[in-house]
Amino acid sequence: MKLLLFTFFLSISSLLIKAQTHLKIKVLPILNNEPIVLNDATKDDVIITNLKFYLSSFSLTQNNGEVYIEENSYHLIDLSKPETVNIAFPLIENKTLENLTFLLGIDSVTNVSGVMGGDLDPTKGMYWAWNSGYINFKIEGTKNSIPFEFHLGGYAAPYQTAQKIEVDLKESEEMVLYLDLSDFLNKIDINTNNKVMSPGKTSQELSILLATLFYAK
Amino acid sequence: MRNKKNEILTLLFFFLLIGTALNIPSSSYFIIKYPDYFPKPLYDFNKNPLTPEGVELGRHLFYDPILSKDSSISCSNCHLSYTAFTHVDHKLSHGINDSIGTRNSPSLINLAWSELFMWDGAVNHLDVQALAPISHPAEMGESIENVVVKLQSTKRYPMLFQQVFNDSIITGEKLLKVISQFELTLVSQNSKYDSVMRKETVFNNQEQRGYKVFQNNCNSCHTEPLFTSYQFKNNGLAIDSILNDVGRYRITNNPNDSLKFKIPTLRNIEFSYPYMHDGRFKSISEVLKHYEKGILYSSTLANELKTPIGLTHEEKVDLTAFLLTLTDRDFLFNSNFSYPKTNNIEITEGYK
Ligand code: HEC
Ligand code: HEC
Repeated sequence: MKLLLFTFFLSISSLLIKAQTHLKIKVLPILNNEPIVLNDATKDDVIITNLKFYLSSFSLTQNNGEVYIEENSYHLIDLSKPETVNIAFPLIENKTLENLTFLLGIDSVTNVSGVMGGDLDPTKGMYWAWNSGYINFKIEGTKNSIPFEFHLGGYAAPYQTAQKIEVDLKESEEMVLYLDLSDFLNKIDINTNNKVMSPGKTSQELSILLATLFYAK
Repeated sequence: MRNKKNEILTLLFFFLLIGTALNIPSSSYFIIKYPDYFPKPLYDFNKNPLTPEGVELGRHLFYDPILSKDSSISCSNCHLSYTAFTHVDHKLSHGINDSIGTRNSPSLINLAWSELFMWDGAVNHLDVQALAPISHPAEMGESIENVVVKLQSTKRYPMLFQQVFNDSIITGEKLLKVISQFELTLVSQNSKYDSVMRKETVFNNQEQRGYKVFQNNCNSCHTEPLFTSYQFKNNGLAIDSILNDVGRYRITNNPNDSLKFKIPTLRNIEFSYPYMHDGRFKSISEVLKHYEKGILYSSTLANELKTPIGLTHEEKVDLTAFLLTLTDRDFLFNSNFSYPKTNNIEITEGYK
């Protein structure tokens, strides 16, 4: 009898757990078709020493039309911290994902709302102290031995940099969100353009370019 | 008369006993006290509710050189309570290793009403302001990451953060919020001007005449009752060829903002010399001479100053007499604003 009850509860609880599965997203920055490894000098002419960026304001549309909007949706992807590349969202079972939207960077309202915690805490090294605002995207390294440093951000008109990104796909539980930086590093002439450390036109142009480099599989 | 302890005027705060629906361990909140002729503060207190413990902790941090790289400089080195929280006798601020900054430290008064901070508005919220001096190589030369590590490794601070947040883990967010809490209490609202506004006293004849001169010539920018409109204007100062400071232009990249600086409050102006973003004037009379004869014409010069301000000798004397009515001794000598006397958080009678 006891055993019966136990199995009964077990099956009920597993049903409850099943009812809400998760969509797991793995963010995977790649270069020349290979996942980027920090400080890897063995491969190309490019060595990346630091890669950090914010993905925020996630919203998921499922094929039944239901939209899930994540609250406090701020994710700092930091390649030096492997756990940060995985993001999970609740998903109703048997419904697949139609569409996913998010921002590369932090929205303007958050930028003027004072100090925040968690991934937005200023100790994360993604905040400009002398021209308030979040650094949306940070990449540092060398190309052909020439050092480069791109700190992209800015929320004020006319140089807003946060980019809305939309990916369509039929996927249910796991997906990989690629960021192919090959084009980014190829299109920039590192000899003449290797340092951006403040908001402005260049910051904006490079952010627009980055937004085109995300795709999902 | 000035020292009369008046209930309405008692500086700053009173306790509100609220059943703690919010997740704040303190049993009580601080409410900033300001007169009814002040506008509403811009600061969103809901996001950082002031508590007596939080304000005290912020005060400890404001006076603690641990925030600088070599533990030599605290915020109070450049912002002294007895001079309305500015750095007297220094045109440009002095930081660690005797490095000299590029600007004069402004007074810290009525910050809850300000939208943008710094002479050029580089900082968009009070909570993130402290990041600037902490990280500036010529000011405190530190990083917020390291300050948090240093504070966490002390005996004292984890305990104090525990008292405020019910959690002894220190974060950048908590650190900055309690510094703001202290700064938000720096409200000046008890000068003679305020007593006159409250109809508790009257200006003498000279002050009254000076008040008229002020309203005609200065109030459009140094707007009552806060004595600033918090806008950015070019008030006709010649650019310093060495510092080459273009003001707001650096932030907005908009040429129309060239040479514009944040209009400073004139409250406690008697004590906050030297004046202007680079501290070029030592006295009020030098400032008045500038407005009378020194205005330099340029494309971004404020409209208000395009026609010369002509002031007779008497008018200047009267105007100065009025400006001195903005001195608030309850602010300058408030014991709740000065160096904390103990290592612990003690909620003094003065707060009640
Ligand atoms: C080395 C001197 C120095 C130190 C140390 C210093 N400040 Fe300042 N402070 C300044 C200067 C100079 C400015 C104006 C900066 C500018 O306009 O670029 C300023 C501006 C400010 C402002 C803006 C006021 C306004 O109305 O716009 C605030 C608030 C402030 N400081 C608070 C602090 C706090 C809090 C600390 C400690 C964490 C601190 N300061 C440490 C020199 C200093
Ligand atoms: C067009 C706007 C405008 C008008 C009108 C104006 N001011 Fe100013 N005032 C400013 C600005 C802007 C500054 C800061 C300039 C800087 O540092 O570059 C300033 C600075 C000052 C300062 C220095 C304060 C400090 O803490 O450094 C004093 C004193 C002052 N003004 C007094 C007056 C008086 C008195 C009048 C009237 C005769 C007046 N102002 C009219 C805009 C104005």
